[in-house]
Amino acid sequence: MSDETASASPGVGEQFASVARSVYGRWAAVRDSELTVAVLTFLGVLLAPYVLVELPTQLGLPTEYIWYNSLITLTVVWAIFAIGYDLLLGFTGLLSFGHAMFWGTAAYAAGIFSAEVSGSPIAMLVVGTLTAVVVAWVIGWISLRRGGIYFAILTLAFGQMTYYIFLSPMSNITGGENGFNDVDLGLLFGIIDLGDPVPLIPDAFVASWMYAFAGVALVGAVVFGYRILNSPYGVVLRAIRENEQRAEFVGLNVWRYKLMSFILSGAFAGVAGSIYVIQREYVPIDNALRWTVSGDIVVITVLGGAGSLFGSLFGAGLYMYVANIVSGFPNIGTFWHMILGIVFVAVIVLLPNGIWGGITYARGLVVRSPEIVRNAPATTRRFVETFPDRARAWLDSLRRRIPGMGGGDDR
Amino acid sequence: MSLVGDVILLLVNGLQVGAIYVLLAIGLSIILGTLKFVNFAHGALYVVGAYAGLLITQEISISNGKLAEWGFPTLGLEWGFLAALAIVPLFVFVVGLAMERFVARPFYDRPDTDQILVTFGLAIIVQELLHALFGGRSYSYDIPSNVLGSLPLSGPIAVPLTEVTIDVWRIWVIAITATLVLGVYVIVEYTDFGLVVKAGTRDPEMVRLLGIKITRPYIVMFGIGAGLAGAAGVVGAPLSNINPEIGTTILVPAFLTVVIGGVGSIRGAILGGTLIGLVQVTLITLGSVTFLVRQVDFLFQFNFTPWAQVGIYVLAVVVLLTRPQGLLGSEEVST
Repeated sequence: MSDETASASPGVGEQFASVARSVYGRWAAVRDSELTVAVLTFLGVLLAPYVLVELPTQLGLPTEYIWYNSLITLTVVWAIFAIGYDLLLGFTGLLSFGHAMFWGTAAYAAGIFSAEVSGSPIAMLVVGTLTAVVVAWVIGWISLRRGGIYFAILTLAFGQMTYYIFLSPMSNITGGENGFNDVDLGLLFGIIDLGDPVPLIPDAFVASWMYAFAGVALVGAVVFGYRILNSPYGVVLRAIRENEQRAEFVGLNVWRYKLMSFILSGAFAGVAGSIYVIQREYVPIDNALRWTVSGDIVVITVLGGAGSLFGSLFGAGLYMYVANIVSGFPNIGTFWHMILGIVFVAVIVLLPNGIWGGITYARGLVVRSPEIVRNAPATTRRFVETFPDRARAWLDSLRRRIPGMGGGDDR
Repeated sequence: MSLVGDVILLLVNGLQVGAIYVLLAIGLSIILGTLKFVNFAHGALYVVGAYAGLLITQEISISNGKLAEWGFPTLGLEWGFLAALAIVPLFVFVVGLAMERFVARPFYDRPDTDQILVTFGLAIIVQELLHALFGGRSYSYDIPSNVLGSLPLSGPIAVPLTEVTIDVWRIWVIAITATLVLGVYVIVEYTDFGLVVKAGTRDPEMVRLLGIKITRPYIVMFGIGAGLAGAAGVVGAPLSNINPEIGTTILVPAFLTVVIGGVGSIRGAILGGTLIGLVQVTLITLGSVTFLVRQVDFLFQFNFTPWAQVGIYVLAVVVLLTRPQGLLGSEEVST
């Protein structure tokens, strides 16, 4: 009797363990796939208006404490901006204080293009992004001549220069300090008004085509960013962040990678800036080219967590909520920006991976799950233990594709 | 208007604008050169100096902002401008000491990026605190005209032999700046204290092994830099309006001055600041100029004034592309 149970229970335990292992292994294999990330982002974009606006309203929370739809669209736009910025700060380790110039020039280019040539949102997006890429190329080429602190100073300086150029000498085109008022937004694909509700999808999820447009762009940005980061290219960028000299010594052209990273992040900023103008139908110079925009994106990315894409999404949401909702609170409302500054300093001192990193860490402490606390190494170890062949193949492919990693057949 | 008069006017205005940049840049440059610390909160020290000077000099009425709500519709000591000029640099010097001890020192061993971010966060806090307390509006100084007996502090005087009049205050700004800068230059170049600081820049470990407490000269150096920024706030603010954002707007030209002059070089900062001031004022003074292209008999008009703010960046780019370490910077310091 007792022998039977004794012999049966390890069998059940083993079975359970093997099922658990295979389920965990399956999740570990799927979790980081691009499709999972895309689906999760898509669900997030779809559910955000419901969870943040509809649900609290139905629960009867006071309206001054909850989100509104256009703010969610704005957050999505800033999230795209933040992903691009994170690519530069979090993954390449370059601190730029001039990203307003890509966001802003894209906004002006898209706005002026809509007034002069065509108001098609797609065309505005393309023109804005291309402008930002060109600007980023030129500015990056000059600023990256000096590394480290000079890079931050120079990007700040060029950002201010662009601001002054658009403010004064070019005021007959840009509208000077009044901003550019003549944005003439057309129809999407020639048939869809962006203000209209989307058929078949309830308003509680997607209020308008505008949100759908921004949401699709965000999913695209996340997937694109994710693909870059998980490609050999992204690995090189991280290598540069960790040790620029060593990356140089293994034969990588560090300068070129840094420039490309700068241009890529400029392109993201351009996409975001163009969509911002499509939403606002107006280019306010203070929200386009002023240094405060550059400062805001730094705060968003660092607060959320530099070095993690979801951290930047989180940061954008947090910042937008504090800047637009908390600022209206009685008593502490006036101090919102200062409180944010204090939190920002506290995050830099205490949480090197931002609030998102802090949450991940705290969750690990509560769940007492070592693979979350010692995040990367343990999960990687588990992955390697579960799928030794796949891990070896992955390593080999990385070795092969990154020059100088000691791969057998360098191509 | 004679040409000589115009040139004198241009020089005085240019030097005065440049003087403020020099005061800020010297602090930035020595902190960057000796302590290898990037201070994005240097503009905050300037703005603290400006507000402190304002409160010491006169009584201001606060219309919006929390101070008005809390029952201080007017605030200020009314001790006069000279008192502000004497007290504020010392006050900001002490602020600088505290900043070195509690903000900069814990960050010496952390990456440059963290130093920039933490000082940037500090700048936001200071700016937003002032914004919340005093409101977003601009305040202006009234400079008392006769304080030093017969010597006027402000008001127009005629330049001999020309028909030009200059605001005496501008000359005072140049004089005060020159005195302060000379003082700091002497301290750094000709005293034992300066010697220790310079040696510490080269090889801090060796200096420590020789039994010198290197942290003390560092904290004093930081304080001196901060004090200069505070002085800049008092001297520079009467010529423009004071609002919480002036700190950040002036930080960029100050950094450009450091980049143009070369890091760690006081003479470089003086040269860079003067150049930037002259370029800016020249572009404003030129105004609208009509060019005649003789070959084709073509007239075209170009207005330089809107480009005044842009000109200094062009200057910085040219210097950077031709001499990346700055005009008077040494090869070694440049990275």
